[in-house]
Amino acid sequence: MSEKIKMSVPLNRVEGDLEIRVEIDGGVVSDAWSSGTMFRGFENILVGRGPLDGLVITPRVCGICGTAHLTAAALALDMISGAKAPPGAVKVRNLTLMTETLQSDIRHGLLMFAADFANPAYKKCSLFREAVRRYEPFKGETVIEVIKETKKVIEIIAILGGQWPHSSYIVPGGITSMPSTGDLLQCRHFLRRYRSWYENQVLGCSLERWLEVKSRSDLDMWLGENDSHREGDLGFYIRFAREIGLDKIGKGHGNFISYGSLPLPEDTEICGPREGGCLVPAGFARGTEVTPFEQERVTEHVAHSWFEDYDGGKHPFEGETRPYASGQESKKYSWAKAPRYDGFPAETGPLAEMIIAEHPLFADLVGRDGPSVFARELARLVRPAQTIPAMEVWLSELAGVEHFYASPGIITDGHGFGLTQATRGALGHWVKIANGRIEHYQIITPTTWHASPRDSDEIRGPWEEALVGTTIKDLSDPVELGHVVRSFDACLVCTVHTIRGGRNLARYKL
Amino acid sequence: MSLLGLESPDLIELLRLLDIEVLWHPSLSNGSPSEHQKLTERMLSGHQQLDILCIEGAIIRGPGGTGMYDTVRGKPKKDLVAALAKRARFVVAVGTCASFGGIGADGEVEATGTQYHKWDKGGFLGESFTTQGGLPVINLPGCPCHCDVVAGILTALISGYHVPLSQFNAPLEWYGMLVHQGCTRNEYHEYRVEEHDFGEVGCLFFHMGCHGPLAYGPCNKILWNQRSSKTRVGVPCFGCTRPDFPQSYPFYETQNIEGIPLQLPDGVDRAHYLAYKGMAAAAAPKRLRERKTKI
Repeated sequence: MSEKIKMSVPLNRVEGDLEIRVEIDGGVVSDAWSSGTMFRGFENILVGRGPLDGLVITPRVCGICGTAHLTAAALALDMISGAKAPPGAVKVRNLTLMTETLQSDIRHGLLMFAADFANPAYKKCSLFREAVRRYEPFKGETVIEVIKETKKVIEIIAILGGQWPHSSYIVPGGITSMPSTGDLLQCRHFLRRYRSWYENQVLGCSLERWLEVKSRSDLDMWLGENDSHREGDLGFYIRFAREIGLDKIGKGHGNFISYGSLPLPEDTEICGPREGGCLVPAGFARGTEVTPFEQERVTEHVAHSWFEDYDGGKHPFEGETRPYASGQESKKYSWAKAPRYDGFPAETGPLAEMIIAEHPLFADLVGRDGPSVFARELARLVRPAQTIPAMEVWLSELAGVEHFYASPGIITDGHGFGLTQATRGALGHWVKIANGRIEHYQIITPTTWHASPRDSDEIRGPWEEALVGTTIKDLSDPVELGHVVRSFDACLVCTVHTIRGGRNLARYKL
Repeated sequence: MSLLGLESPDLIELLRLLDIEVLWHPSLSNGSPSEHQKLTERMLSGHQQLDILCIEGAIIRGPGGTGMYDTVRGKPKKDLVAALAKRARFVVAVGTCASFGGIGADGEVEATGTQYHKWDKGGFLGESFTTQGGLPVINLPGCPCHCDVVAGILTALISGYHVPLSQFNAPLEWYGMLVHQGCTRNEYHEYRVEEHDFGEVGCLFFHMGCHGPLAYGPCNKILWNQRSSKTRVGVPCFGCTRPDFPQSYPFYETQNIEGIPLQLPDGVDRAHYLAYKGMAAAAAPKRLRERKTKI
């Protein structure tokens, strides 16, 4: 007879406050509950404020995806005001959002996710010593490289948008900045440098060679092709992840959502994978069956969230955020609401983008075995290969452009939504303005999709579902739970840091 | 995330040079939950020395003072902060929320700063609180706080430098100057050549809600990501280092009386300012009036 154990695990390296409760039956997770442990009340703070205030307040929801919030806030105001950003402004908006994702994907993959490979839980793994050499926090060789290079590429956002994080340079009708030739040349330099570093350090090959990988057998062939492919951080990831079985855990519901992102201006030579005018297409998929996305089908449930109850799900234009706190475990157990599409929970992020864009490698991997921790993190590590070429084109197309803003005038009334793809996936702002003030503001972040608790029909959220079936080897160090949750690039925003001085301590004088 | 942007020294070099052992960081540490719990217990019992406690984010007291809007292992996180702050040699509030309450300070989460509530001393730990090292909570406001400022204060504390503080317990080294200083639009401000809408070339103070002359911080001296700032790309300063951030009136517009801002540059006399700006506008050279001088 197996014994059922319940345990509660606070997780770090998820950018915020999360506790996972699991029920373990014979060493295997038999049920799971995901609990966001912090309520910040951002949406209610916005009500009654000036019409443009979402551009300042919402990027501050999150230190790592401020450009995405800024984009969503500005798109909602574009819709409300009928503003049309000039093509040059659309390109600059896209470039900063893409830069934010370029650096975040690599920071997540190689700082936050791979840190677990250096966890003593894997000391018997044949690649453990190598993993410690690469990924030990604050010391690993790759860690040092990633910190050095990702902050360099972020300078692109500072050049075009003033600073990162937390700029507010995107406004309805365009952008406030007017990048000069010198600015654009600097951006090209930083992008070229990042590309070359990414090719050497992560891929171990050129972007072009990587983009030839279109199936699982191509992937195996690529890996076996030479030492450079095997020894890059991508090749190492594939080898380590397969050895510890990450391709066999974290399956989840197998539903995917993308709101679409990176609109294509009329004068660009870049084409998207499908009609619809975005480089990253919108869609909803069950398995690899993709259907068109319709924002009216998005709802949020609160049956198990610490908010005042309503029946079923509400569309974000009708949504309410009325906290009902008890802190006690009962039916309600999270500060996250439960977003659903057509009633279905869904995962979002790089893997969802690849599935919805019908990327052949990921369609093959997920078509054969369903989603997994392995496929999710793989999609994240290789996403820069999809975006860098388009960035290069847009930077050169911007040469000589002088028009970046078309004033929409004063915004007094209207409804609008701004939908985009943040690094972690689908991000939406639903906004109503009345009499020159914000009347309603509802935000659904990618992590709200993922961290979702159960809904009114008792259907588990994506993390909860993905955790079920996971084998835990050591209950005191349940590293597998971390892999599953982190494979979604969890972000719940952080709070307390503690630091200890070293040997210098004895010399403290004040 | 701002801190990962450190340059010369970068974050890794800084930790090595100062011989700092990071006991725990929510985004970067890889200890297991049980190790983290043991570490917390050792710090609270005094078996693990805690030299510098850095707090990010406001202290959340809601609802009704319970702190249950922000919990760790089912208990209010604010209680953990209070207990660790007593043990720490120094406490540093990183960012405006941790310093003054910030975005949630007027909201239902009942947020407050670690030792200030907006303009008033007190906040969560109380007016008389001092750390084991004999200092009040050191405030590093800004949303976000500039990474050079965080690195600077850690270096100063560990190296034993004296750190003179402002009336809001922010180090004067970085908060003794206005955001306006070093802004590349200064000449447009000087001659009162104003922007009325985005994308014009001019000063953002008179109509666009810029707080550069009202907010203390080094944004235009040490710059962001080694190279720029909001005002340099046409975004007004939002005064994110101020104890009342985020202000109660709309962003991107200046409250004014007959075209003259309600809030004048810090410490300036209204009558003199009116006379001076009238003359300055009349004296504006053609290259500024025609907005030919680049920013």
